Amino acid sequence: MSDKVLKIAAGEQLDQVFVIGKDEVPFDTIVLEKEARANLVFLIGPGVGADLPLKVDLQGPGADLSLSGAYLCTGNDKVDIAVELHHSVPDCTSRQLFKGIADDASRVSFYGKIIVEPNAQRTVALQENHSLLLSYDARVNTKPQLEIYADDVKCNHGATVGRLNEEEQFYMRSRGISLENAKMLQMISYIHPVLDLIVDENLRTSMSEALEKAVHCFIHKK
Amino acid sequence: MIEEARLLDEITEKEYEEGFVTDVEQEFIPKGLNEDIIRMISRIKEEPDWLLDFRLKAFERWKQMKLPTWGHLRIPEIDFQDIIYYAAPKKDADRPTEIDPELEKTFEKLGIPINERAALAGIAVDAVFDSVSVSTTFKKTLAEKGIIFCSFSEAVKEYPELVRKYLATVVPIGDNFYAALNSAVFSDGSFCYIPKGVRCPMELSSYFRINASGTGQFERTLIVADEGAYVSYMEGCTAPMRDENQLHAAVVEIVVEKNAEVKYSTVQNWYPGDSKGRGGIFNFVTKRGICKGENSHLSWTQVETGSAITWKYPSTILKGDNSSSEFYSVAVTNNYQQADTGTKMIHIGKNTRSRIISKGISAGRSENSYRGLVKMLPGAENARNYSQCDSLLIGDECGAHTFPDIQNSNPTAIVEHEATTSKISEDQLFYCNQRGIGPEEAVGLIVNGYAREVLSKLPMEFAVEAQKLLQVSLEGSVG
Repeated sequence: MSDKVLKIAAGEQLDQVFVIGKDEVPFDTIVLEKEARANLVFLIGPGVGADLPLKVDLQGPGADLSLSGAYLCTGNDKVDIAVELHHSVPDCTSRQLFKGIADDASRVSFYGKIIVEPNAQRTVALQENHSLLLSYDARVNTKPQLEIYADDVKCNHGATVGRLNEEEQFYMRSRGISLENAKMLQMISYIHPVLDLIVDENLRTSMSEALEKAVHCFIHKK
Repeated sequence: MIEEARLLDEITEKEYEEGFVTDVEQEFIPKGLNEDIIRMISRIKEEPDWLLDFRLKAFERWKQMKLPTWGHLRIPEIDFQDIIYYAAPKKDADRPTEIDPELEKTFEKLGIPINERAALAGIAVDAVFDSVSVSTTFKKTLAEKGIIFCSFSEAVKEYPELVRKYLATVVPIGDNFYAALNSAVFSDGSFCYIPKGVRCPMELSSYFRINASGTGQFERTLIVADEGAYVSYMEGCTAPMRDENQLHAAVVEIVVEKNAEVKYSTVQNWYPGDSKGRGGIFNFVTKRGICKGENSHLSWTQVETGSAITWKYPSTILKGDNSSSEFYSVAVTNNYQQADTGTKMIHIGKNTRSRIISKGISAGRSENSYRGLVKMLPGAENARNYSQCDSLLIGDECGAHTFPDIQNSNPTAIVEHEATTSKISEDQLFYCNQRGIGPEEAVGLIVNGYAREVLSKLPMEFAVEAQKLLQVSLEGSVG
């Protein structure tokens, strides 16, 4: 096992935000003990790129994990997220939400595997990965995987790769919002569910502002 | 209602009904695989040189290839030299034009109408027994419309130019290990050509049966729908119960030209092995179609209940603009069965659409995986895909897995994938029990409802069979 382990002891709780490029991620393995709770948010801004391999093991019953991330990719950014999540014991819950935008010649690849071990009954595991593709040169590959060996479980995953919805744009434009502003609003609201998971209010506000700036750049460089 | 109950009783009491062996005199070639064997198969079948070359080329490729190991499967080692690659019922010299009465009885038992007196059924059938096609019905009716539906060997003799034009255009000889093996040793299969603008007036059907022991079956199906044509094609398969594993490695190629439509349905019921996991068929199949022209449409529907191990990914290449494809699948595994099945949708053309609905049901100690690829190439403007994969678990010793792969290279294309895994809820079972429906019947009922979206896409003749099959396959999985 890796020596870069983040271990959350029984009954403890951790809420943390990692702004990639600024904050270092000092672990590649996360272990949750009995009734431990973790809420980790990873933010990847434009021009940064990231390689984020994470192994998670829910080892204690009643552990609860929320793992989320947002990525805004421009230029030749390369974002590689690979999460391998083990539900090893009964009664654990996990939620994953990864959302992002890929522009220019950026590359996004998401790999998320959830493994529910044979005795991990009453597991709830949810995973979502949604990406917007803005350019013909950008690529998004996503591989959400479920491997389930217990029967009393609720496991869902959802993945989409698509474009901005034109009907929404029409709705806004018919109410006097310019196309550019409409697109900005769409992108902000697309990413915002991830930011909403940030517990610290000040940080949430500043990240929200950073998002607005970044989205502004997406629109106005074109 | 009473009738239904009686039917259910009957079904749940039986195990693998098709597990009998037919006693006909058979012609074998020696075990093993080498150039001589391939030449021998080719000679027995009186094939032209180009086909022998094709086989030998494939064999060369195969020798350099490795077994695919990426599936979520535990495959026991297969000794490819320990298989008889060709077995045919001996023809009775006195009556060369008629079907062996034993064979006819076999197909009768299976409920396959190969005699034209079963015209009522209104389906044209090509029946393949071990390595050869034994009969094709309704040839005349079809010929009037210019439709060619015959065994593959016959097609090679009668329509060599058509076969050469399309053979291996969708599944190249070196496509994968089992496709290469099939290209080298394929024995027979069905060939179907629907000419321009013709709507095939009846369902076409192939029926495959492995009878001889120690053999493998390697059939090849080629379906071509020319411009504006339509055909609905069905395929069924069974095998006797044996303690050994038998290999079935088929290749199906479908070419759909401009404005044409092909509907391909399979009910796969190869012998799944016994409740201890002994025996059963290894079903390693390559099926692929190409929507070549504009507005073409290809639909796959499969009900997979049999085989010890299934490795099968019916795929569509959406090349023509505005072409569309669908994949509907129900895969049931019980006891020690393993299935790794799904689809590939490769979007090349503009405005191409695809839809994937997959329902997996695992019971006993089985493993059931969905594996799928949706790929949007840079030219796939406004392409659209929607996939839904549901898994149902019955019992806590089985596994259900979902392995989708989504690759998007076009900003106007939209891909959506959704998967859920759950078990039959206690509430549903309780509701049924309360109304006097036993646990086993209740599971059958719930599973049929769960799979309805797919079953409803099957041609009527198949839907009834498939529904019954689901029930039988899950027998013994509750309580």
